[in-house]
Amino acid sequence: MEHRLLSVTHSTLREDNNLSPKSAAAVLSLITNPFTSDSTLSSLLEALVLRLHNPNSNSDHQKVLSLLSALSHHHPRLGHRIAAAAHAFILLPSTPTPSLPHALSLLDPAHPFQTDPFSDESLFLSLCFWQCVKTRRWILRNLSKFRVRPSVLITVLLGFTKDPYPYIREAALDGLVMLSNGIVVEDPSLVEGCYFRAVELLFDAEKSVRLSAVRAVSEWGHLLLALKGDKTQREWSDALFVQLCLMIRDTDAEIRVAAFNALGKIRTVSEDILLQTLSKKTLAATKEKKYPGQYTAKLFNIPATAAAFTFVHGLEDEFYQVRRSACHALQMLTVLSAEFSGGAVHVLMDILNDDSMVVRFQALETLHHMAMHDHLKVEESHLHMFFGTLLDNNGLIRSAARKALQFTKLQKLAMFRSCVNGLIKNLELYPQDEAEIFNVLYKIGRTHGKFVTSIIHEVSQELEPSFDGKLSFDKKRTAALLVLAISAPVSLERSICSIPPRIYSYAVTLLGRLSSGLVHVMDQNTLLAYLSHCSKFTVASTSENFEGELLNFDLKNSFTHLWKKSDAFSFPESMELKKVTTPVHGYLLNSHIKATSCVEIVLWKVVELWPLIKLRCMNDVVQTLRSWKEELRNFSCNSRHPAGVLGFALRYLHVIKLLGKAWACYFSQRNLQFTEMGVLEALLHKMESRLKEMLCRHAGLSRGEKLHILELMLVAYTLRLSCGVTSYFEDYINKLKNVLCLVEYLQKEGLVELSHFVNELQNISCEIGHSEDGFIYKLDRLQKSLNLFSLKHIVLSGELKYLDAEVDVCDNEFQNPLPFIPGLPVGIPFDITLYNISSETRLWITTTLGEKSAQFVFLDLSEFGGSNEMRRFTFLSPFFRTPLAKRFSLKVSIAMECLSEDQHFKHCNGPKHELIHLCKGKEVHLSMPVK
Amino acid sequence: MVIECLVLGAGQEVGKSCVVVTINGKRIMFDCGMHMGYLDHRRYPDFSLISKSHDFTRSLSCIIITHFHLDHIGALPYFTQVCGYNGPIYMTYPTKALAPLMLEDYRKVMVDRRGEEEQFSSEHIVECMKKVTAVDLKQTIQVDEDLQIRAYYAGHVLGAAMFYAKVGDAAIVYTGDYNMTPDRHLGAAQIDRLQLDLVITESTYATTYRDSKYVREREFLKAVHKCVASGGKVLIPTFALGRAQELCMLLDDYWERMNLKVPIYFSAGLTIQANMYYKVLINWTSQKVKDTYATRNAFDFKNVLSFDRSLINAPGACVLFATPGMISGGFSLEVFKQWAPCEKNLVTLPGYCVAGTVGHKLMSAKIPTQIRLDEDVQINVRCQIHQLSFSPHTDAKGIMDLVKFLSPKHVILVHGEKPKMVTLKEKIQSELGIQCYLPANSESLCIPTTHHIKAGASDAFVRSCLSPNFKFLKTNSAELDDSHKRTMPLLQVYDDRVSEGILTLQKNQSPKVVNQNEFMEALGVEKHEVKLAHCFRVYIPDSESGDASDCLPSTSRKGSLLHLISEKLCRELPDFDVQDCQEHIQIQSVVVSFCSNEKCPHRTGVSLQSVDKKEVHFCCSWSVADDALAWRIVASIKNLELDT
Repeated sequence: MEHRLLSVTHSTLREDNNLSPKSAAAVLSLITNPFTSDSTLSSLLEALVLRLHNPNSNSDHQKVLSLLSALSHHHPRLGHRIAAAAHAFILLPSTPTPSLPHALSLLDPAHPFQTDPFSDESLFLSLCFWQCVKTRRWILRNLSKFRVRPSVLITVLLGFTKDPYPYIREAALDGLVMLSNGIVVEDPSLVEGCYFRAVELLFDAEKSVRLSAVRAVSEWGHLLLALKGDKTQREWSDALFVQLCLMIRDTDAEIRVAAFNALGKIRTVSEDILLQTLSKKTLAATKEKKYPGQYTAKLFNIPATAAAFTFVHGLEDEFYQVRRSACHALQMLTVLSAEFSGGAVHVLMDILNDDSMVVRFQALETLHHMAMHDHLKVEESHLHMFFGTLLDNNGLIRSAARKALQFTKLQKLAMFRSCVNGLIKNLELYPQDEAEIFNVLYKIGRTHGKFVTSIIHEVSQELEPSFDGKLSFDKKRTAALLVLAISAPVSLERSICSIPPRIYSYAVTLLGRLSSGLVHVMDQNTLLAYLSHCSKFTVASTSENFEGELLNFDLKNSFTHLWKKSDAFSFPESMELKKVTTPVHGYLLNSHIKATSCVEIVLWKVVELWPLIKLRCMNDVVQTLRSWKEELRNFSCNSRHPAGVLGFALRYLHVIKLLGKAWACYFSQRNLQFTEMGVLEALLHKMESRLKEMLCRHAGLSRGEKLHILELMLVAYTLRLSCGVTSYFEDYINKLKNVLCLVEYLQKEGLVELSHFVNELQNISCEIGHSEDGFIYKLDRLQKSLNLFSLKHIVLSGELKYLDAEVDVCDNEFQNPLPFIPGLPVGIPFDITLYNISSETRLWITTTLGEKSAQFVFLDLSEFGGSNEMRRFTFLSPFFRTPLAKRFSLKVSIAMECLSEDQHFKHCNGPKHELIHLCKGKEVHLSMPVK
Repeated sequence: MVIECLVLGAGQEVGKSCVVVTINGKRIMFDCGMHMGYLDHRRYPDFSLISKSHDFTRSLSCIIITHFHLDHIGALPYFTQVCGYNGPIYMTYPTKALAPLMLEDYRKVMVDRRGEEEQFSSEHIVECMKKVTAVDLKQTIQVDEDLQIRAYYAGHVLGAAMFYAKVGDAAIVYTGDYNMTPDRHLGAAQIDRLQLDLVITESTYATTYRDSKYVREREFLKAVHKCVASGGKVLIPTFALGRAQELCMLLDDYWERMNLKVPIYFSAGLTIQANMYYKVLINWTSQKVKDTYATRNAFDFKNVLSFDRSLINAPGACVLFATPGMISGGFSLEVFKQWAPCEKNLVTLPGYCVAGTVGHKLMSAKIPTQIRLDEDVQINVRCQIHQLSFSPHTDAKGIMDLVKFLSPKHVILVHGEKPKMVTLKEKIQSELGIQCYLPANSESLCIPTTHHIKAGASDAFVRSCLSPNFKFLKTNSAELDDSHKRTMPLLQVYDDRVSEGILTLQKNQSPKVVNQNEFMEALGVEKHEVKLAHCFRVYIPDSESGDASDCLPSTSRKGSLLHLISEKLCRELPDFDVQDCQEHIQIQSVVVSFCSNEKCPHRTGVSLQSVDKKEVHFCCSWSVADDALAWRIVASIKNLELDT
């Protein structure tokens, strides 16, 4: 079949007759059939080329060329040969001009031949001036293929703008637009010529010409502006602007869109003109102004009033494309003038009511843009519309609204309040927006610090725990308000931040939710640190006489400090802090954080107990403390020993209880009875040892935490000393001095500010100097110094590790004692587990028999394996002085040498420093073997 | 040729629009309205002015109705059925559909309520509508051999159109009522840029500049939202067509966006029926409605329910649309009586209320107030009142914009109040430079039109027209008068392919345009050119006079002298290209050369035999176009002796 067809076509192609439609169809069928063999195709190609080049084959070049282009299209690999044939054809002198465009379209301009027809100017011109309109249109539409001198191109194009055929005019204008992007014209009159020619065509009867003219006017207008000097440039850009404004009243929507697009590109327009675009009435400033241009087909001066109402017309347009384009142009132009923006806001706010989502979105984008340039002045009358978009049922719109909102500056508290209410309503209706809403709340809170403060004060009652002690944080409103509250301290205003710090501790409970909202600002750890930090400032809530300015300064500084500590954060002006937290990390953190946040709250709340303690309402205090302890213990239900922060908090609460009791005891009767003295001393002793334990058994205490504990120790010592009648007076003087030294050391290390109480003690100690009994004479001052003390909020800055130990003896019970022989040493096998104890720690096994002095065995930790977190080993410890008894029991425990304490103990071969027991004493029963 | 324009109604007034335009012998009646303010003969246009013989069918080519408002169509049944016009009538599809409703409604009111004598009956209306040919937008109708008409979208009400009419070369546009700003349910007027001799435009708001429609919408929505949010009921009395749909779309959209659940009711009756028409005629509504049509019909209001009487006193907030618009009676009054005493409720009033209606009383009243309906009934009004200011007419800027866009040669204003129309007329004339008229009723106006003559063209001429032949001219800014100086670009583009023909008019033959060469060939003449010449004497101071034996300067001296002159001319005429061609100097068409011919015919002044040897003669020739230039050159060369 294929061969038959081929032979038939071959014979027809060779003949000089015209190519009949039938044979052309046969050739085409061969070309399009994918199964036609290569040899057939190539012989077909040869035949076609031969016919093409044959000067006698008159007037069917077009047919052959279209067959060739079909061949080239279906079999691209033949493209090169076809191009070569077409090239040869073009160069033939016999080639008729009308066939040229078709032949040219077969060439590939990317692979120029030696004599490239595309760079042949005379060919180009002869095609241009050929009488066939179709040829002209083809050449104008394919201008970009030709490599002709721009001067020739521009002349041709400019000439064709006068063509009687609208399509040619349109194509010429498009060509001019294309040309304007690629050439540099230095002749102002030429540019002006092109510009005015395009302007003239703005009044063309054909709308496609007008559309192209708008683009051409815009492009050449900009070229013209570039050529004009500074002085006239402004006027010319106004002229261009007004000229384009004329087109926004065209009845064709596409032209209006193009006109607005062009308006948006103008970079300099005088404010008067811009203001005129918002007003229908002629403004005084533009009344008399006229610009070079064209107003109607006959009038060659364009009045500035032609710009009247431009943007309102655009925004009122029937077609959303026009409205969107107008909005976008506004976005570009509002940057130019604040006053113009002020006027544009009114219209834009109405656009928020538009039925088209696209337009609403663009309007919000424009508002956002204006806000970023600080040109957005929202008025009260706008609020209904503006905040209405927050409730839009389209998520994109809501998101854009929030985006616009976050930079918005609101002038009045009432406006801010309705803004916050709007956002809360948004949150209530569309909970899926929570993260973004929090983010926006945080951001607007930051820029409206004063308003935030007053709003939080208004609603603080809402934020408090309800009567049953539960914080209603599940309520969305509460959550939103908390976010707002936490934004205040980083407020960019120099306002007084007197938000009760407990709010921050409430906020901690929402850490997960908050941090997902503020993920662009800070990560979870930072947020936690920040919240803890903010909630530390107890002073603000308790003493309102505190100078707000000072606090603010302090707060900011320390906050900044806080940021800087974590190197991962940058601290740009916008305070956009971001650290990528992987979600897994965040998740792991979460359960831990619940406990941590609870601890935060409790530690925070403790501070509030201090006034109660001062009032000696110890029942309430004790009860509260107990309930808190229980609450905290809930978190550690699965671990025997509440470790870390939780354990620390529990111990801290215990210490506070002791302190409270002691304090109450001390102040209840100044002239203490001896019995009470005993009670007090006991309390103080307990407190002292607890404090010491806290200090020594927690690894990872920060300086602040240490200082806090030391201060409490000082209180204990001071209380003890101020009773006056204590048996170890000198001892305590020394202890006091030691602690003061430590405080001083810590202070020097980190430049921490000390409380008034500690300062006073330091002063006293300084005044006394080294005299031994100086304190006796300073008792008054010591007693008075106690009044300076107030409990402060202890902030746990990091992870704490509790040094712990367990000791056990296998299978040792009262019924199942270990055997021993009286008078002879006995080896006791201990199962020892150590937690968080580093190998440098000096550990002792203390063994006491009865009330007698103990026996110490040193544990060299380096001998045992395991990590610092946990070591478990068996250790055979000898006990030397077995009594002469049938059975006895020993008390064994593990103690740590407390290196910080300077007191020396006089144990032979025993510890040199004070010991802190790491576990409760374990009884070991020994008995003589029964024979 | 003239266009004659006879204004039968709406001349310097609003009401009974009717203009009869005669273009090249074709008579078209635009609109056939009635005046609602009169009950006597003034109610109808004075048709007798059209034809004394009352043979209207013959004297009018056609009637064109722009939209269904009674002041544009009210007199039509009377004119066709009573006065006996039997010719073609054109109107758009929606107008044809809705007009009978309006006419029937009006007839009922006239006959049933006021007990008036019937001007036309229901049958009349039906019969009249049978004569109507419905047209589509942008559909060109060939009324007869010469008359073409075409409808363009006017955006005034559903189906409102502007009409273009063309007879021969004369073309006009009659706008009817139109709106240049779109509203929720209708688009803005849309028309092509046409070559027009005349535009007859309405001018209802000839001096009003209306603010953005968004302000009105916002105020309306805010008032309604505030009312329903506080649990109040909103009564929106409207006319059945147009405003009801507009407001309802506005509310429906808002409801959806704000997730409001308060019910919106439509009182049964005409409004529902009208909604049905809107649904069917969706193509005549705004772009937005058309766009959403693919997914849902915008007139299928999502939140709208139909109302029944039992709901009037149902608890809770609601919005109710009820007819008639001015609370002049009917259902809206019934509901108003119930709702007015409650402060929480809201009543909106249309922009315009006829005196005597409850709406009119409310417009001027201060709340709270009491309104007396009749002897016995008095209503305590404590509810809030919101005045709507929506209008489907364009304002002054819109009229100006349309006129500017169409740029006709003449403008006639109708359908407005005279003093305002005068202001607008002044504005159109001064700002746009277009002649503007405002004829009164019964006045007739003639407007000259362009008239084109058909001419044949020779093949050679046609061929010469096919190829572009453009020319660039740098206009000399000095030649332009002051007003154009600033604006005219220096570079002008011309494409001369059409202008270079020659029109020949031979006896008994139609005019023909031929090519220049062809023309000369046909006449058998050669091309002649008129040239001017001038030969004059210049005294040349000679430095080497002693040697000069020859009375004529030597060739070399001549050359150097010419060179000298050309340099001088170069300096003095920097804008021109001075060509020094050894033997002569050429500047444009001016040729300057030495003249040795003692008897040169162009030589002026006394030619003395004993010529001073230091004298030289120059002969200049030029074509007429460069006359001014030539004399400048002559003067310049003459000055040579003074310089040296």
